[in-house]
Amino acid sequence: MLIGEVIGRLWASRQAEGLAGRKLLLIRPLAGAGGTTAPTSGLVVAVDGLGAGPGERVIVAHGSRVRDITVGAGVADKDVVVGIVDDLHLEPGSGAR
Amino acid sequence: MILGRVVGEVWATRKDTRLERSKLLVVRPHGWYEPRFATDHLVAVDDVHAGGGDDVVVCLGQPARWSRGEENVPVDAAVMAVVDRIDMDAQAAQASHAAPGIRRRWTPPSRWTR
Repeated sequence: MLIGEVIGRLWASRQAEGLAGRKLLLIRPLAGAGGTTAPTSGLVVAVDGLGAGPGERVIVAHGSRVRDITVGAGVADKDVVVGIVDDLHLEPGSGAR
Repeated sequence: MILGRVVGEVWATRKDTRLERSKLLVVRPHGWYEPRFATDHLVAVDDVHAGGGDDVVVCLGQPARWSRGEENVPVDAAVMAVVDRIDMDAQAAQASHAAPGIRRRWTPPSRWTR
């Protein structure tokens, strides 16, 4: 899984059937061992079944089996939000940058 | 599986119900096979009681779901072992690429090499 920040919601009026009705979030993976430095390039579009909103940090899991057992096998996305971060603790001196 | 260091822990109240009893650690991989995004961390479930600063072996992908003998858990990374000791070949450790696709950003400590 990775930690990312929700930077927005994504709408598409024309989309494949597999995405119909699904809430899609645009997520920026955090660098610096979970967000201590500037975000890097590369965005994830993940399916959200938990109700995450912009500005929140979320845990995104990847894989077809993850997708199957969370939002259902018929959904055409393999990145799924599985948690909304309350708190993040990084060990001082553990090599986190 | 990959080798990494535990750099923190993350808490989430709102999460998939199958993750309710899971401890979630933030791990910085020492080397990573074709990471999908330019991140330097991953989140892994931990059932072996690893702590901050520990070097750990992390299993990625589908087998990570089998770490607790239960397949229907929505995770893609699991801590499988806490490292006590590693013996590495010093010359091999200096090679820029251990294998195609592997990105290294790390020089192993001297106590690990021979």
